[in-house]
Amino acid sequence: MHLAKEEKSMETTKAKVIQVEEKYFLVIDAGDGEIRIPLSDDKPIEVKSAFNKLLTRIKAGVFKIELEGVGDDLFFQVAKEYVSQLNKEIPTIRTEMEKRGLAAK
Amino acid sequence: MKIDIHTHTRKCKSGDAPTREISPENFCETILSTEVRIIAITNHNVFDLAQYTEIEARLGKEAQVWPGIELDVTHDGSRAHLLVIISPTLAQDFAAAVTTFTKGATPDTFAATIEEVLAGFDAFGPLYVAHYKQKKPSLSDEALAKLLAGTKNPACVIKEVTNSISAGIYISHGHASIYGSDIHDWAKYDEVSRQLPDLRLPVDSFEHFCLLLQKDPTTINTTLDKKTPEDLVLIPFDDSSILKVRVYDDINVIFGPKGTGKSCILKAIAKHYSENGIDATVYAGANERLEDIFDTRGKDLKINLVDHSISYCSDEIDALRKASEVNVTSVLKYKSHFASNATNRNAKKILLKDLEPEEESGAKQEFGDFNGAVTKTKAYLEFLTENSAVKKELTPEEHQQVTGILQGLLDRLRKREWASFVVWQEIRLMNSAIKLFRAEVERKSATPAKPITTGFRDYALNRITIAAHAAEIVKCVDTVIPTKTEIVGSLGPNKGELEYRTEFQFQTGDIVDSSLYSLTNAKKTPQKKFITCVRKIQQHAYADDLFQYIAELNEIEDVEDIKTVNELLLFKRYFALSGAYYTPSTGEASMVMLQKELGSSKDVYILDEPEKSLGNEYISEVIVPLIRERARSGKKVFISTHDANIAVRTLPYSSIYRCHEPTGYKTYTGNPFSNNLVNTVDESDRLDWKKISMKTLEGGEDAFGERGKIYGNDKS
Repeated sequence: MHLAKEEKSMETTKAKVIQVEEKYFLVIDAGDGEIRIPLSDDKPIEVKSAFNKLLTRIKAGVFKIELEGVGDDLFFQVAKEYVSQLNKEIPTIRTEMEKRGLAAK
Repeated sequence: MKIDIHTHTRKCKSGDAPTREISPENFCETILSTEVRIIAITNHNVFDLAQYTEIEARLGKEAQVWPGIELDVTHDGSRAHLLVIISPTLAQDFAAAVTTFTKGATPDTFAATIEEVLAGFDAFGPLYVAHYKQKKPSLSDEALAKLLAGTKNPACVIKEVTNSISAGIYISHGHASIYGSDIHDWAKYDEVSRQLPDLRLPVDSFEHFCLLLQKDPTTINTTLDKKTPEDLVLIPFDDSSILKVRVYDDINVIFGPKGTGKSCILKAIAKHYSENGIDATVYAGANERLEDIFDTRGKDLKINLVDHSISYCSDEIDALRKASEVNVTSVLKYKSHFASNATNRNAKKILLKDLEPEEESGAKQEFGDFNGAVTKTKAYLEFLTENSAVKKELTPEEHQQVTGILQGLLDRLRKREWASFVVWQEIRLMNSAIKLFRAEVERKSATPAKPITTGFRDYALNRITIAAHAAEIVKCVDTVIPTKTEIVGSLGPNKGELEYRTEFQFQTGDIVDSSLYSLTNAKKTPQKKFITCVRKIQQHAYADDLFQYIAELNEIEDVEDIKTVNELLLFKRYFALSGAYYTPSTGEASMVMLQKELGSSKDVYILDEPEKSLGNEYISEVIVPLIRERARSGKKVFISTHDANIAVRTLPYSSIYRCHEPTGYKTYTGNPFSNNLVNTVDESDRLDWKKISMKTLEGGEDAFGERGKIYGNDKS
């Protein structure tokens, strides 16, 4: 259906789902800190802030998020899907950064 | 065109330097590399016909070579040198005459009296050039008187002096004078030739030159008319009287006492040309301000940023000001999707909804690449097929080969273009179908569909676009534009060239130089705030507070004045000497304004007393050569002047003399070549050009003569 793409070896960063009291978060390891995305509440400002950190991380280099652990609970499923979609979007964003000359070499 | 009436090609006397020797081939090569186009060969007491004939043949029509000899003459026991130059048509007879004349003597021992020279050569109608005063060994005034008395053509007796200054002074005293190189070392001829006299009138031949010396009116008029004469009919004065003058595409001088209407004539000339669509304005230097002429305030200053590879960034600035945040997908949609049980049987059967959408940007990019390559290849192929220069350069076989290869490439690119288009559209179709089915299943089964995207991609691309726009603007304003330096003119040998500098600088956010002006209507404070804000936007492109700076940008007062980076430009224009700021004095301002006027490209230059505030040395060394150069280029130069350097030394093709007498105003026209000034309404009323020039411009013959005595004797 589409042109085959060469699989490239890509840096991996770990992510996990954590629970703080009643709230669930997807926590991504950003090297010099963590990126926290709320899963149980609709908090777009916090999501955007997390996206900004992801952008800064992508600027340094493309990477893949690997969700740790297994489970069938609701928020793990949400996180799994969310991470899956982020992983598809990250290379496109990195490519665009490179095209615009904004990515770190 | 320069003339050299005194050269040597052979070492004839024992005292002659060997560097006077030159072969015909080298002689011609040397002469033709200079501006000299008339040259006389005048060896000591020798005329070498064979050498002369070879040189004449080699030069052809490129230059005139006149046969001659430098004779040792004796008078009253003293020895002097006298050049005898004759027409090239008489070279053979001249050679025979020289042989007879010098028989029995060597060049070292030969000497003749004035009477013998006249007897031997006057029948050739020669040009006599006698060493005079400081040109040693010189002929005495008595010997010259004898020569003048004995020759049948006294107008062709000229005195040879040492240089142009002496020649100018002696000519002013009524002596027909000239100077030649008397070359001692041909290796230095290029340098020496630059000092040789220029011929103001074109000289066709030796005979023509002699006629001009005799001030033959027909010859002079015919020669003058080789330039384009134009008869102007002017009404310069309030009494509506008509003034008819003949002018030339050369130097035309108007002179006379103050208050005789010279400026009115210039204005009438300007009006005449302007009405005929020719750019002609009267330049009156001292009346105009240097700052206005050079537009130091930059009223009309513009710059094309593209010339400096700088983008105007209008799209980037517009986009930055309109930028807004992109929303992200609510995580609750994921939660809702996974929390609900998809119980609807039909919904479960529709598997398409469970497919994951595919990222289409890669496929879109690939299609874009091939599409672009097809467009460019096709255009280039069309160019090669149609361009006549290409067809002319390539043989039909080569042309076919090149176009064949390109056609093959185009066919392959088109196939790839189509294939990539199909892939891209397939992805789009599939994604669209997935989206549609998910929406339909959600609607029909009340089961929330799985979100297609987190929204990160669009959110990120929006931020990246903002960052790119800000980066482009910052890159542009951080570009250094080289200072434009134009040479305004010379302030004389001591100070050197006055420069006029234009510095452009973008407001980078930290410039506080009050001598810089804004190039456009945009004010300096908004400029500074604007670029400071854009830098912050660039720095905060991936930060939570980005849109705070976008808002700040839009709140800047008069921000709407800044539509491109051109509105962020500052400039300063100033005069400089050797790169340092310099404020020219009034006199220096006059110098540079006049040079600028004469340096501008025009067909007609009209100068009203250009000598105002200028020193004599400057007029003589800078302005007179500039005026002559304009005239040589076939431009019409009209000058009203009280300065003898300009009125006399430029040897104007046309002189217009205005004066006032008890009976009223009078206008005379003439030229220095005929030495006549003729009343425009009464041909019988004639004046001596030289005497009138001296009277009007130098305070009279006595005063001029006095100055000649003071200066001339020291310098000649």
